[in-house]
Amino acid sequence: MRFLIVEDDPVIAEHIVAGLGLHGHETTLAQTGSEAILMLDRRPHDAVVLDRLLPDINGLSVIDHVRRQGNAVPVLMLSALGSVKDRIEGLEVGADDYLAKPFDMDELAARLSAIARRNVSRPEGSRLQVGRLELDPSSHRARYRDASAALNRKQYSLLAHLMRNTDRLVTRSMLLESVWAYSFSPTTNIVESNMSRLRTALLALGCDPIETQRGAGYILRSDRCA
Amino acid sequence: MRLIPRALTRSPRVGRLAIQFGMAFAIAMLAVGMIGFSAADSWVSSRIDASLRYHTAKYLQPVDGHGADDAAVAAKILDWQRRKVLSERTYVLFGRDGGRIAGRLDITPLPPGFSDVRFLGGGRNYQEGRALATRLPSGSLLVIVQHSEAAASLHALLPGVVLAISLVALVMGVSATFLFARLTANRLAETQGAADAIAAGDLSRRIQTDRLDGMFAVQADSLNRMIDRMEELVRAQRLFSSNLAHDLRTPLTRLRGMLARGVADGDPALSGTFERAERECASIIAIFDALLRLAEIETGRHPSAMGTLSLRPLIEDVADTMDPVIADRGGTLEVGRLDDVAITGDSDLINQLLINLLENIATHTPVGTRARLSLERDADGAVITIRDDGPGLAAGDLARVTRPFERGASTTRGSGLGLAIAQAIVRFHNGRLDLADAAPGLEVRVRIPANDSPGPIVDAGAAA
Repeated sequence: MRFLIVEDDPVIAEHIVAGLGLHGHETTLAQTGSEAILMLDRRPHDAVVLDRLLPDINGLSVIDHVRRQGNAVPVLMLSALGSVKDRIEGLEVGADDYLAKPFDMDELAARLSAIARRNVSRPEGSRLQVGRLELDPSSHRARYRDASAALNRKQYSLLAHLMRNTDRLVTRSMLLESVWAYSFSPTTNIVESNMSRLRTALLALGCDPIETQRGAGYILRSDRCA
Repeated sequence: MRLIPRALTRSPRVGRLAIQFGMAFAIAMLAVGMIGFSAADSWVSSRIDASLRYHTAKYLQPVDGHGADDAAVAAKILDWQRRKVLSERTYVLFGRDGGRIAGRLDITPLPPGFSDVRFLGGGRNYQEGRALATRLPSGSLLVIVQHSEAAASLHALLPGVVLAISLVALVMGVSATFLFARLTANRLAETQGAADAIAAGDLSRRIQTDRLDGMFAVQADSLNRMIDRMEELVRAQRLFSSNLAHDLRTPLTRLRGMLARGVADGDPALSGTFERAERECASIIAIFDALLRLAEIETGRHPSAMGTLSLRPLIEDVADTMDPVIADRGGTLEVGRLDDVAITGDSDLINQLLINLLENIATHTPVGTRARLSLERDADGAVITIRDDGPGLAAGDLARVTRPFERGASTTRGSGLGLAIAQAIVRFHNGRLDLADAAPGLEVRVRIPANDSPGPIVDAGAAA
């Protein structure tokens, strides 16, 4: 995929460009807001990494400008302003995701992939099925072939989120945001412990499609649900 | 900015002030009454004395160049007795030997000059009067006694009038004070409302001065200037912390990038060091985030979604979440009694509160510790109790650990901010957090006022 990186700090910009390169993505670098607007006009990008505090125009104004021109390119706002309030401001102005500095490269790559493919994401509320693995929203039961298992609320929400993002890396903090709706960082392994219970339940059904990416997150592999 | 909904209407306390003011007014009126009375009394007395002097002079007036003699005076007295049947004055002439020469009043001779006398008036009742005794050249004594009805009734009236004045003054003083206090309270209500809103964190509020006058307007203006200054300081502080956040986050981001590169392409001998350095970097970031979060909650800058929050489903959700975490560390989490109780709260913050408290147990107690989570409703509101049978805290640590960067004696892990954040969240909800020795173990009790008003229930469940 092709991403536009808008970042004025050369060290951080280089880190992002190199990191996304390692994940197999092409990148274009813009160092100011006006440069970013020019580049977005010139060619299409799959997503934009936008620093909030830029030397010329504020990142929020860049999004505003881009959206008013009818450009719906997914934007991930990257910012040193990490409070909940700053995050809400960023999302309200039209960013698709918000990541506070300092960030983890895998986290940035996973979130970029998620927003870049958001248009192909399955809508929430639809029947959840991946291969022969099925999730029943009314009974909170997972079914695989003839077997079925009851899941508690957290296990159900976890599996539902992974199934909606089949074959994509979902990071711990993405899960904390979407499954738990926590705006704080727990100090214990909440995601790991709950994931391990979910996987135990799925193993009992004879299907464990969840793959752990060490240090990064989880991927639900559709080919393991056949 | 936020407003904590709570009963802010305090009725003005004027009771004692009104009584004090009324008493002072009554005492002042009593004093005025007594001064007025004694002034009237002495005026009447001086009139009587003047009249006595005048009549004495009239009786002793020289006849044909000679001083009046006993016979002339006695003749005048007899003449007067014939003419006057009723009078406030009585004349008596005593001879040198003290025997009565003329006059009907039954008194003994008095020393010369003014004096007060008691005598039998009309033969039955003793009356009081004022007397002027004057020695004649012959050695006889002329005594004129004046009995004043006016002075006597004035004296009789005195206690009653003074009492009545005092009572009326008391009643008027108390009512005037109540009225004054009410008017003052009405003018201060605006100021009080603004002060309460500011105490609740709303620094944008100002006191409306258009309906105030005099000292109230002056006071409101000076309070408004104070709030302007406070708001300016808070803004400066906020700008400082956001600049600090930016200035620290940027080098931390660079550091993290460099360390990651070191892990990726450094030589294997160094990669362990790089990984450890990266972990330290992550814990610096975690402490930094926790500090900013604490500051946000404490200064009321946390963008809060306060609403009616049903605690039971929220606690069940947290228990589901933390059960595997505690189990993975060799402990157990039981859920005890869960009453239905709603509070006015922010679900994200209450989640953090409960997660922090349960993470404390997961992190700081030995393998095999059992924890119990319960929710009860008492007269005041919701009581969330988290109890464990671990080693607990030393008595001296119980008060200390809720302060930032304070830890229990045996613990070294964690940012040292978990309980401080929990405390800030509870305060934000007008509640209280108590730590107690559960013998064995620690009991954490969180009390938050209930919200019984019917309203939209905020879904405490997660977003997925």
